[in-house]
Amino acid sequence: MSAPEATAGGRRNDRLRRRKIVNRLMEGLAWLAAAIAVAILGIVVFSVARKGASELNLNLLTKPPVPFAPPDVAQGLGNAFIGTLIIVGIATVIALPVGILIAIYVSEFAGPWVKNAVTLTLDVLNGIPAIVIGIFVFGLIVVGRGQSGFAGGFALSILMLPLVARSTMEVLALVPNSLREASLGLGVPRWRTTLSIVLPQTIGGVVTGATLAVARVAGETAPLLFTSSIVGNQINWNPHHALQTVPVAIFELSESPSPDDHARAWAAAFVLMMFILFASLGARWLATRSRRKLMAR
Amino acid sequence: MPKSGTLIRSTAVAGLAAVVAAVAVSAAGAAPAKRSATVLQGAGSSLIAPALAIWQPLYSQARGVVVNYSAVGSGAGIAAISARTVDFGASDAPMTPDQATGCKGCVQIPWALTATVPVYNIPGVPDTRLHLDGPTLANIFLGNIKTWDDPAIKKLNPGANLPSTKIVVVHRSDGSGDTYVFTDYLSKVSPTWKSKVGSATSVSWPTGVGGAKNAGVAAIVAQTPGSIGYISDAYVIQNHIAKAQMKNAAGHYTLPSVTSIEAAAQLVKSVPADNAISITNPPASPKYKYAWPLSTFTYVIVPQQTAKAKDLKNFITWALTHGQAPIRKFVFAPMPLVVIKAANKSLKQVHS
Amino acid sequence: MSTLDATTESTRRLSGRRVHLGDLILQLVAGAATLAALVLVFLIVWKVIDGARPAIEQFGVGFVTHVGWDPVKQVFGAGSFLFGTAVTSLVALLLAAPLSLGIALFLTELAPGAIRGPVTALVETLAAIPSVVIGLWGILVLGPVLSDHVEPFLHDTLGFIPLFGTPGSGSSMFTAIIVLTIMILPIVSSISRELFLGVPSELKEAALGLGTTRWEMVRGVMFPYARGGIAAALILGLGRALGEAIAVTQVIGAFVGIQWNLFSPGDTLASRIAAEYQGATSNLEVASLIYLGLILLVFSLLVNLLAQWIVRTVARRQGLAS
Repeated sequence: MSAPEATAGGRRNDRLRRRKIVNRLMEGLAWLAAAIAVAILGIVVFSVARKGASELNLNLLTKPPVPFAPPDVAQGLGNAFIGTLIIVGIATVIALPVGILIAIYVSEFAGPWVKNAVTLTLDVLNGIPAIVIGIFVFGLIVVGRGQSGFAGGFALSILMLPLVARSTMEVLALVPNSLREASLGLGVPRWRTTLSIVLPQTIGGVVTGATLAVARVAGETAPLLFTSSIVGNQINWNPHHALQTVPVAIFELSESPSPDDHARAWAAAFVLMMFILFASLGARWLATRSRRKLMAR
Repeated sequence: MPKSGTLIRSTAVAGLAAVVAAVAVSAAGAAPAKRSATVLQGAGSSLIAPALAIWQPLYSQARGVVVNYSAVGSGAGIAAISARTVDFGASDAPMTPDQATGCKGCVQIPWALTATVPVYNIPGVPDTRLHLDGPTLANIFLGNIKTWDDPAIKKLNPGANLPSTKIVVVHRSDGSGDTYVFTDYLSKVSPTWKSKVGSATSVSWPTGVGGAKNAGVAAIVAQTPGSIGYISDAYVIQNHIAKAQMKNAAGHYTLPSVTSIEAAAQLVKSVPADNAISITNPPASPKYKYAWPLSTFTYVIVPQQTAKAKDLKNFITWALTHGQAPIRKFVFAPMPLVVIKAANKSLKQVHS
Repeated sequence: MSTLDATTESTRRLSGRRVHLGDLILQLVAGAATLAALVLVFLIVWKVIDGARPAIEQFGVGFVTHVGWDPVKQVFGAGSFLFGTAVTSLVALLLAAPLSLGIALFLTELAPGAIRGPVTALVETLAAIPSVVIGLWGILVLGPVLSDHVEPFLHDTLGFIPLFGTPGSGSSMFTAIIVLTIMILPIVSSISRELFLGVPSELKEAALGLGTTRWEMVRGVMFPYARGGIAAALILGLGRALGEAIAVTQVIGAFVGIQWNLFSPGDTLASRIAAEYQGATSNLEVASLIYLGLILLVFSLLVNLLAQWIVRTVARRQGLAS
């Protein structure tokens, strides 16, 4: 006859074993999930690199496309790379000063109500789908005037703004009050304090935010479909015209049946991805260092 | 300060500065831009894109004028020229009355003649082996015929190795002149199609997958066993896709070629004032025995009043004369005299 | 944020009576920039409503449920695309949620120190891949693999469920769902990871000390603690999926209608706008496309505001400084 303790102990052991099995199972699933994520990333990056390798040469960056040409004709996506450089440049020139000014206002001048309103607004702006921004800029600027690099740059600057403003706000908040108080105490006017003393402390964070924002919009396609997609094949530096851009070029080539077009799309995707990856990772690394430095003061 | 941090920071700042400098240089250099060569910007039909690809270098060499073209689809081309965001539009479909009004004084000029082709990807059925007629094609695109071994298809293809694969219909997802030609033809051969779907550059497809532009449809058909779609003939030649033989009204099975398209174009006796011509489904008379039933003219659309009138007129005249022979290899057929005359007459309306 | 409040307060007190012209100018210019941002959001909403007005007047609210998009008869409706958006986004979220949480748990609880950093960086890298590149990969690599191997397998084994009907081409809702899952994954997992890192270690150790297994600790302590944040993360992931136009339009097949078979083509709000906008046949079609954009905007705003509200309420309740 089994003693009650033995049975209870036996049941307890059973329960414990079951709990341990469940635990093992869950741990295994977590490992699996991570493996899947790494695998997906690996597959995508590897596909892009391998398939783009054949077209990855200097021609890609310098020669214009020649549609319907036989495979031996040297062509590339030079117009797209130049166009992206110019349009992203225009977007940065618009978004960077405006974003910094917003951050300055919120951090140095505004009361808590305005602060909350602005933060909320920036979050809302960040969540508006890029295609709706495209429709907006199309209706605002393109209708009647035509597409242009400026219109494309303006659309991308709207996407960059929340990122630049938020990151600058965060870095401004990290500047110790003692610095401001010391400066003001010495009689330096507020505007001088902000621009010459406080802001320079944040350059690292501002550059980080700007770089991350650039990485984000360099690959954006939807707003450019509406603002800068009817383009020619020549290499064009004039932002008054619509300019070809790398994401739009990849988009158009992706839907083609020609394997040469595909190879060019993969190669352009590789260059784009490498740029974005280095910019993002570099910026994040920079941010951690800069933050650590500011906090250590 | 650790060196690497400064280095990276400086690189980032330098990078951003370079981008800003590029902008400044381009904006400065672009502002009062004194153009070294005139540029004509066009947009629209992907059907005419191969012809324009041939014309661009030839014309640039002949006259020193650069012609830029963006194949965004006939519908987008009409929209672009209506908004005057380009110098000329290109469409395989003539403008609807609403579009003509919206274009505010545009003239559409036929400048090339070619065809749309049903293409397929059926394992075991080689190029041109598939025979179809109008009503069967309409039923496939209506979704009434669902598999390749359907009796209606078998009847037209005795002895062919038709599998029981499901039919995947592929159509255009964008506003397309090829769609217009295809649905125009289907409306003529199938009263059900005409009442249920109709013809336009964009329709409500009863079934199927959409691809963007000729390239997109060609890509999907090439990748999907059991699929059937329609693309312009130049893309068939470019991409080696299997095309179907169509039974025309005269009872003969034909393939698109310069000869069969020219035969269909004989249908044009006189050209209406707006140049809107339809030559799909030529009637069952011996003259059209070998005519290809899905032939079409394609148009260039220009404003009657434009600052670039001279350059545009020069270019279009060149295309109508010197441009016709070089594009023959993409199965663009010579246009009948009556159409060329109408084109030249319409061109006279363009002035600055 | 409390540092920021203290800054403004103390510096205001110290700035003294003399107001420099420079201060005024800076305040004005910076204030103008801030005002511009606030106005921008309202301007966007207004412009979209304004652009959709002809369609709203023509079709009214019935547009939202009408299934069909007929440029010949000039009758348009959002029903088909609402269905497509709902199905693709929700199924993608369903797939991404356990994966993301699994990754986040792995990175906070299970990963050996050496691989923790690299794997975190890798997952963040996934977020940085542009959607057009994922779409390119989707068309040329994923689509054929799914339609040639995965879909027939699922149809053969689970074909009794209407969701897994006859496979078609590589352009299908199923491909779009996988693409969207890949895009949602990094967002939800990185937010969840930060949430899990924020769970006080005393709570975790207390549970473990009582003899719970790690999984039981996660289920009993971490999930309830981070509950609100996870909800916000999922909602933000959903918002990302709702608004994705490019990658979806590359792989979804542009079909108008309601089909429950995931392997058939479909279309979503954002994807239809991207495909049709340039080639719209009439002003009414343009306005109808903007009407689609308006519906999309409303959903995105609701989703975004909901996530913000959760973060602010839950964060406040848990006493965390935001």
